[in-house]
Amino acid sequence: MTDWHAHLIIGPIVLPMIIASAMLLVDERRRILKASLSLAAMAAILVMALILLHESANGAVGGGDTARVYRLGSWAAPYGVVLVADRLSTIMVALTSVLGGCALIFALARWDRAGPRFHALFLLLIMGVNGALLTGDLFNLFVFFEVMLAASYGLALHGSGEARVRAGVIYIAVNLTASLLFLIGVSLIYGVTSTLNMADLATRVPTIVAGDLGLFHIGAAVLGTAFLIKCAMWPVGFWLTSTYSAASAPAAAVFAILSKVGVYVIIRLSLLLFGAGAGASAGFGLTWLMFGGLATIAFGTFGLIASRDLSRAAGFGVMISSGTVLAILGVGDTAALSGALFYLIGSTLACAALFLLAEILQRGREADVGEARAVFDDEYRDPFDDEERNEPGLVIPAAVAALGGAFLICTLMVAGMPPLAGFVGKLSMIDALVNVGGPAQWMLVAVLSVSSLGALIGLTRLGVGAIWTRDEDAPAFVVGAAELTAVAALLGACVFLAIFAGSALIYTDHTAAWLAEPQGYINAVLGGGGR
Amino acid sequence: MSISFLLVVILVLPFLGAVVASGLPRHARTSAAILSWVVALISLGCLAALWPMFQDGETLRYEIPWLPSLGVNLVLRLDGLSWLFSALILGIGALVVLYARYYMSPKDPVPRFFSFLLAFMGAMQGVVLSGNLIQLVVFWELTSLFSFLLIGYWHQNSAAREGSRMALTVTATGGIALLVGMILIGRIVGSYDLDVVLASRDAIQASPLYLPALILLLLGAMTKSAQFPFHFWLPRAMAAPTPVSAYLHSATMVKAGIFLLIRFWPVFAGTESWYLIVGGMGLATLLLGAWCAIFQHDLKGLLAYSTISHLGLIVLLLGLGSPLGCIAAIFHTVNHATFKASLFMAAGIIDHEAGTRDMRKLSGLFRFMPFTATLAMVAAAAMAGVPLLNGFLSKEMFLAEAVASVNTHGLNLLLPALATLASAFSVLYSLRFIHTTFFGPPPTKLDRVPHEPVAWMRRPVEVLVALCLVVGIFPAVTVGPFLKSAAVSVLGFDLPYYSLALWHGFNLPLVLSLIALAGGVGLYVVFGKRINANPRGGPWGWKRLNGGWLFERAMTGLFKGSEALVHLFGATRQQPQLRAIVLVALLAGGLSAIGAGLIITPIMPTLTLSNWAFAGLWLIGASCAVAAAWQAKYHRLAAVVLMGGAGLASCLSFVWLSAPDLAVTQLLVEVVTTVLLLLGLRWLPKRLETIRLPQAMERRSRRRRRIDLIIAAAVGTSLAAISYAVMTRPSVEGISRFFVEHAYKDAGGRNIVNVILVDFRAFDTFGEITVLGIVGLTVFALLRRFRPADDTLSGPSQQRAQNASDRDHETRSEGDTLKETMLIPRVVMRWIFPFIILLAVHLFLRGHDLPGGGFAAGVALSIAFILQYMASGARWVEERLAIRPIFWIGAGLVIAALSGIGSWLFGYPFLTSWFQYADLPILGRVPLASAVLFDLGVVVLVVGATVLTLVALAHQSLRKPKQRDAEEGEPS
Amino acid sequence: MMELVLALAIGVLAASGVWLLLRPRTFQVIMGLSLLSYAVNIFIFAMGRLKSGAPPVLAGEVSDPARYTDPTPQALVLTAIVISFALTALFLVVILAARGITGSDHVDGKEPDA
Repeated sequence: MTDWHAHLIIGPIVLPMIIASAMLLVDERRRILKASLSLAAMAAILVMALILLHESANGAVGGGDTARVYRLGSWAAPYGVVLVADRLSTIMVALTSVLGGCALIFALARWDRAGPRFHALFLLLIMGVNGALLTGDLFNLFVFFEVMLAASYGLALHGSGEARVRAGVIYIAVNLTASLLFLIGVSLIYGVTSTLNMADLATRVPTIVAGDLGLFHIGAAVLGTAFLIKCAMWPVGFWLTSTYSAASAPAAAVFAILSKVGVYVIIRLSLLLFGAGAGASAGFGLTWLMFGGLATIAFGTFGLIASRDLSRAAGFGVMISSGTVLAILGVGDTAALSGALFYLIGSTLACAALFLLAEILQRGREADVGEARAVFDDEYRDPFDDEERNEPGLVIPAAVAALGGAFLICTLMVAGMPPLAGFVGKLSMIDALVNVGGPAQWMLVAVLSVSSLGALIGLTRLGVGAIWTRDEDAPAFVVGAAELTAVAALLGACVFLAIFAGSALIYTDHTAAWLAEPQGYINAVLGGGGR
Repeated sequence: MSISFLLVVILVLPFLGAVVASGLPRHARTSAAILSWVVALISLGCLAALWPMFQDGETLRYEIPWLPSLGVNLVLRLDGLSWLFSALILGIGALVVLYARYYMSPKDPVPRFFSFLLAFMGAMQGVVLSGNLIQLVVFWELTSLFSFLLIGYWHQNSAAREGSRMALTVTATGGIALLVGMILIGRIVGSYDLDVVLASRDAIQASPLYLPALILLLLGAMTKSAQFPFHFWLPRAMAAPTPVSAYLHSATMVKAGIFLLIRFWPVFAGTESWYLIVGGMGLATLLLGAWCAIFQHDLKGLLAYSTISHLGLIVLLLGLGSPLGCIAAIFHTVNHATFKASLFMAAGIIDHEAGTRDMRKLSGLFRFMPFTATLAMVAAAAMAGVPLLNGFLSKEMFLAEAVASVNTHGLNLLLPALATLASAFSVLYSLRFIHTTFFGPPPTKLDRVPHEPVAWMRRPVEVLVALCLVVGIFPAVTVGPFLKSAAVSVLGFDLPYYSLALWHGFNLPLVLSLIALAGGVGLYVVFGKRINANPRGGPWGWKRLNGGWLFERAMTGLFKGSEALVHLFGATRQQPQLRAIVLVALLAGGLSAIGAGLIITPIMPTLTLSNWAFAGLWLIGASCAVAAAWQAKYHRLAAVVLMGGAGLASCLSFVWLSAPDLAVTQLLVEVVTTVLLLLGLRWLPKRLETIRLPQAMERRSRRRRRIDLIIAAAVGTSLAAISYAVMTRPSVEGISRFFVEHAYKDAGGRNIVNVILVDFRAFDTFGEITVLGIVGLTVFALLRRFRPADDTLSGPSQQRAQNASDRDHETRSEGDTLKETMLIPRVVMRWIFPFIILLAVHLFLRGHDLPGGGFAAGVALSIAFILQYMASGARWVEERLAIRPIFWIGAGLVIAALSGIGSWLFGYPFLTSWFQYADLPILGRVPLASAVLFDLGVVVLVVGATVLTLVALAHQSLRKPKQRDAEEGEPS
Repeated sequence: MMELVLALAIGVLAASGVWLLLRPRTFQVIMGLSLLSYAVNIFIFAMGRLKSGAPPVLAGEVSDPARYTDPTPQALVLTAIVISFALTALFLVVILAARGITGSDHVDGKEPDA
């Protein structure tokens, strides 16, 4: 009858949406049902993502370098909206599902009971991220960014409390501004090129007449600014640390991917639209990306050294990793980009794990637990009693050693020290940069090394403070089994990445090469049928 | 057994042991010790088994691919040098394990200790067995890591924490430098493989990158080997348990740097820069370490500084760049490992049995622990370079080198003298160590009576001391072959002549070492008292030049500095952040406009009537906007109304410019937004113009406003310019033509905009309604725990007045006035209800062909509901209508999703539409497109989300504050 | 002429919006965002060039693009309107919650210290 495999690519978007909306029809108090539903959903998404990943690893459906394209409403590109799964988007989707899965497991310990409709919001966030990663249409990208952001507002405020609401105001204000910039950019680009499909746009960029070029570049620059805000590039990324450190741990962990979505879009668009073949616009904005990235790395490193609590440090870690990828992209070297992609995966996992660990280690210091109590005797049925919020379910004994080990791994990953994936990433980036030579490259090498050192210093200070400097009568760490499982899974992924770094690097090498040759993408999208 | 297997074993076994040990229960001291002991012995056995398997100058290799694309693989590589070092690591490791079993107290979690120790052993093995530069760095950093854990093992005392952090910071810094250095070498040579690198001396020394590579490499080596000025971490690391010090600071950790220097000696040595940097640092460290060692009162402190000084000696030998120097260096490395390890252990025994390491408290221990004392004396004598002991031989070679090198370089003239001086110093502190501890009157300041340790605790020391003697007396037959094999693997077969004999005849080096011996003793006799009396225990003439202190300062400086930087270049508050964003956007746009040029071609305005009208319309709209901006602070209600005006203007211009759908939607949204804002106003604090800020703030905020005004103007003008530029140039042929041509033919709709929304680009709408749904959920979640500020808890003043007057008249009950005033509107609005619903249905059905559509219909419906709420109050409505917004949201989303999935059944992609026209009674000819089903989902969801938001907000006024009801009557 | 007026309108709306966006009180910010979204909506619409009396509603079978104004930007504006409406509502509720919990309607949740 129908070939489900053909619809695989839209699964990571539609499945969470269906499950989430179905949950809304179910009574909020049926937690077990909801928890298992969303776990199942994440598992299914992970499977789909891995199938897609496997396909693109083996040169996608047709074999060789190509992308799997899905024409929604079976309207031919560029008229309808298309989803495109190529090497870059599939690896990002896979990363998202791993991260999301772990964050969800962590949340099951207690956070999913800290407020209503956690699971629905969570799944919708995943939907938004996957949509943003897979879509091949600029305006559709905007829509899914909004889905992603709306859900992230919900999750950032999840559990309420003064700190969260206070940070939430800034977070939302900033992102609404970013969305407006996004709209201005997209529409301006449409006004000049009369198209919204990325591939179609790529074909039109070289043909833009000199008179329109200025307008087009303005559009691109404004659009880029919107994404850079999401990447938390200096100086438009100050909102990140305050929001992420205030958010509940699982939310923060999954937010680690949001900034990377921004990075993804920057990589995608700048290589697709402003590649070598873009005529007058070739290499547009790369220099700015590099300097911005350098500034971000520097700022993030100093921030990490200066920060006095772990979750803030993790937030700065996120900034550092975005900055690194942006700077490398700005240098415009394919080999280095491959390393940067590898680094992106590892550092994202590590930062997420660090957020989770931070919550465990700082437990009890949370001031705002009590503040979330409703002051009204509620007419709305209130299935949440606040006592539950501190009860992490099944507790595992003697967790200190495990936590110490986990923290150590996080430190190594974030600082890019051997022998874990973080190191491999840094190594391949520095290796590529050194092989190119050039002042910019040397500067970048220096900055990368110094930021590694800074991260190490900052994190060891915090770790020693959190784990070693505990007097005997201090209460033992209370860790839920689910929580430790989640952390272990994330760090396991890091170790896995380090062991199979060889093949992973080969994958990223292919990805970088594929991105450097956008023609393949364009052909895949614009070629082929539809109404 | 195969070579590869053996190689893997001697590398992997320690790590395996570490994993197992970490799993042992907390008090399994003995079993952990036995495990580690077995591990060390087996590895040692395998190493021994490997010895006959390679001739001098050969190397054994075993390669495991890891990162082929980077040319980084795991290469296990064994040659003479690495064999010798590996033997030291494993052998002394085994002895330390045995010693630690008796040293560590059962109260500590000993298995963890052994696990770290084994892991560290494995890391060291990895360093010496690496056949690949990057792999070497990996294990190098691992040694830093595990030494950090070992030094910080007693993390409950702060000295251990600080010491370990310092050690990690310093050595890891070196490690990062080393990594970059290795990558540079890799770039010069074109490969990370050690054999390739060692084969390409000329290429490296000729390359322009030679110096940077050398410096980075040395940064790694010198930090690890605690060379001046990086030496300060080593004394601080003495906070570690003594077995750790005995292991790390005699045979392993600090020797890693030496190993690195020897390993790369063939390719890097012999240049001027090598000579100056390495030799210079070595000499400085040799003298400085010896000088500081003299003045320590802590036994371990003394040993630590003497270690530094002996490492300096080795580095100096390597720096000289002569083959003989290199051989002497290797030899002294071995000797130093043996006697220093035994001395640390002896110090540990004294600490363990006498309860202190402070030489001012210790004295005359000989009569309490004669065996230990004897062993310590022999070892100390070796350290001092007394004949018949191994230390003497290498010291002799060192002096010989110093003498020989005099005429090779101008700076070497002083070398013999300085070398002799340093040797004299080492005699001095060795003598002081022995004399103060073991001789003199019996100790008085001890809290216990010292005694010999358990025999097994002494065994390792005995073994090592025996080695010192044997090597010292029969060097040729004992270390000879190993030394030769190591030397060959570094220097190749044309070794210079050297003889490992006790007696070389009466020559200058012998004279010098005799002078050193005599001098040392003499100095002690003269200054001994004063040194022992010196209260501070720091060396003379040594105030602020204390590396550790400087380092601490630097660290605190770093933390403070980065806080300052983050404060300076960052912003935690919202206004600066938004300002930065707007500015960046402006800057980005402006720069790219400058980059590519922005041409605006003005067209002559045609002054028709309609144009004037349009201008007038926007004159009003614009002034509304400005007024709203001006009023938003103090007169919120006015601002809301004015904003409505601006919205209305844009609404009308949509009508004007042939966008009916936009007009309808804008209008409806306008209404709902205004209602929302009005509902919200009630919870905001009163703000009065009369309140004045303090002068300073007033001035600051005035300046800020001025800046913001400029920014706002800039944004406005640039946006106007851009839009004008676009509007005044012809549009490019794009995707729209397709929509116009296919809207009716293939999608069965005449209203192209609606067709785009529900068919061509239905996926956008799909996401859009999801956003609406999410917002609904979030609002619900937020308002569930909504907590109003105290000053807003009481109802609006007018309402309170009404209720009060009601209470005064006994004929009236509270709320009557309200009812009366609302009577007419209530009746009207109840009557309107069905009509609005009809309108909504109409909008929905015609949507595909004429302006309207799902969203408009949904908003219209929810307005209908809101009117009821306004007119009759929440209670009345909810008694009559079942309002379950969240259910509607879910239902709407499900409908939309299913209508999209439906097309899968026919093998089409998501949201593929199908349509048919049907003639229905009354309604006439209506399109039955599957898109309509999708649109239905939109309607349901929009109603759900909008009503939820409005109701949830409206409900806040009805909710009773917890223990506050007493104050006023219940606000309705 | 139309173009000029509309461009100026966009400019004024945007300017007043940005001005409010940078103000310290949450209510001002939300008003600013609404004004800005008006400006942006009209901006998007304007990107399709202006044409009066040519609504994109097909009359009969004729489907000659020249006779209709560009429908795509209108579709985009519709989506944008809905989304910005939703998020404005959300932001309003958040600032109310913030006002409630922190007791202040300053964007940073606390009154600036002199």
